Amino acid sequence: MAVWSWYVDALRDYAATVILLGILMLLVYAGLRALGRSRETALGFTFVLPWLVGFLAFQLFPFVASLYLAFTDYDVLSPPRWVGLENFARLLGDPKFLASLKFTALYALFSVPLGIAGSLACALLLNRDIKGVGFWRTLYYVPAVIPAVATAVLWRWLLSTDGLVNTVLAPVYALLGMEKPRWFLDPETILPGFVIMSLWGVFGANTVILLAGLKNIPRELYDAAEVDGASGWARFRHVTVPMLSPTLFYVLVTGLIGALQMFTQAFFIETPRSTVTFLQVYIYQEAFGLRHMGYASAMAWVFLLVILALTLLVFRSSPLWVYYESEVRGEDRAARGPQAPGRRLDLFRPGLRRRLRAGAPAVDDQHVA
Amino acid sequence: MTYFVLAFGGAFVLVPLLWMISTSLKGRDQLYVYPPQWIPSPVRWENYVEVWTTLPFARFFLNSLFITILATVAEVASVAVVAYGFARFNFRGRHFLFMLMLSTMMLPSVIGMIPTFLIWRELGRLDTFTPLTAPAWFAWGPASVFMLRQFLLSVPRDFEDAAVLDGAGPLQMLRHVVLPMVRPALLVIALLAFQGNWTNFMAPLLYLNTPDKFPVTLGLKFLETSLGPGSEAPMWNLMMVVSLLVALPILVLYALAQRAFIEGIRLGGTKG
Repeated sequence: MAVWSWYVDALRDYAATVILLGILMLLVYAGLRALGRSRETALGFTFVLPWLVGFLAFQLFPFVASLYLAFTDYDVLSPPRWVGLENFARLLGDPKFLASLKFTALYALFSVPLGIAGSLACALLLNRDIKGVGFWRTLYYVPAVIPAVATAVLWRWLLSTDGLVNTVLAPVYALLGMEKPRWFLDPETILPGFVIMSLWGVFGANTVILLAGLKNIPRELYDAAEVDGASGWARFRHVTVPMLSPTLFYVLVTGLIGALQMFTQAFFIETPRSTVTFLQVYIYQEAFGLRHMGYASAMAWVFLLVILALTLLVFRSSPLWVYYESEVRGEDRAARGPQAPGRRLDLFRPGLRRRLRAGAPAVDDQHVA
Repeated sequence: MTYFVLAFGGAFVLVPLLWMISTSLKGRDQLYVYPPQWIPSPVRWENYVEVWTTLPFARFFLNSLFITILATVAEVASVAVVAYGFARFNFRGRHFLFMLMLSTMMLPSVIGMIPTFLIWRELGRLDTFTPLTAPAWFAWGPASVFMLRQFLLSVPRDFEDAAVLDGAGPLQMLRHVVLPMVRPALLVIALLAFQGNWTNFMAPLLYLNTPDKFPVTLGLKFLETSLGPGSEAPMWNLMMVVSLLVALPILVLYALAQRAFIEGIRLGGTKG
């Protein structure tokens, strides 16, 4: 049976890779020692070599090569032809590219904040003293470990025209006097369909991360706020949000990058009008469907710049809303004097936190009527 | 009130899963019964047998196992070596290399996708398992390296100093002294590596063309054209069976890992 040769060949390549890598490591070590480097330096370099080789061959080289290809016309069959900025000029006039960019951006705009709001609500609930926290946490985590391909198939079934969602919501549609939405089959409702699907998958991981963040907020801050008569909302607004903002920031950045890179589910769920799709799917189609390798590389670079610009925007905005406790302590604090309150962390009586830290009772005798 | 909201969220999570299981046990004539049936009658367990016998699913499953096991072993081994290098040895340029590695996490994979494909084409390795397995030796996953390095930094050096006196070489040290102390972290890395490789869709899509070589993720897409919405009369019941079987190994691993984590934490690292 010739089939087994596939596995044997793959094993041979696999073994060859590790043997070559081992030989290379030995050579690098011997070379560095011969050059009179210390044993520690030689060992360190040798140990990080597997990553370094992979980085040079599969990250740095492709990165530079794709930049070169972006300025060429290349169909794989004949050598690349230099065309200068032509690809980029074409991009700006390509309605399908612009539509994909807009569609991807809209998807991120809806799915990321909604997902964060949902998982934050979950985390806040799970942070209370409730029965069976472990059970709920496990339950909410399950969709996160279901492979994207399975999620795509499942939601295609749920959101089919006669699927469960439409069946359950039928009375609602009747009440609103509207037709059954055809979800992925109707250009108007494709985006909501994807957003709903993304919400189901994103709860788990983010909920767990945010919950860990909530657990790290010192109790004393809530006690202090309570003593000052802050309502539940005020406590959330002035204690929880600032203290959780680094975690929220992390979740926002990773969520944004993830949402923009939507591929697997989008590839699985074929939408009728081929003009509306996610950017990565479009790049894939151009590169591997039509063999426009140069044009697809240019698109990939524009996509990279979009991601970088957005990430930078979020990072630059962070001083406005992200509060780091450590900025108040340490040198910063010494510079601003011992009583410097945290930036935008307005506990209601500035002196109170200091007193709590010093171990004084939160409520002094005058307050107890 | 709290419980009400929790239950509502739980329903949003659970109902699709239950519907998935329910659908997978139905016959084709029960798919669109109104009102929706949660417990199909009769329950068709045969669906699960049928998938293995009439569809090429067993082959897909074998391919996935082959690719995932090879890639996971290579990834964990190389990540351990690289993280040790970053954590324990001071050399010039270490900080720079480490930052470089972390910054690669920000880059979308689509940037290198085309040239990487061309590299494998030059090497004559298109439509083989090689591009999906061999490169795992180059410490895929900067996040894993970062995590393991953090763990290694928290392990006291005393054990290693003692091992040096016993004449252990750096590799023996790593295997017998250092790694046993960070077993829980290695377990997490192995789990994430397994999950990443098992559920990978884009890479196999790029490199594999022969349906007999497909892993389960591509296999699902392949079956969809014959059974799913791509066909005349979609066999959603079988599609659900296959989707569940794709998800099952990951779910089982998480369940097993849960227990192992608790064990690992209880046994602690000081058993040098």
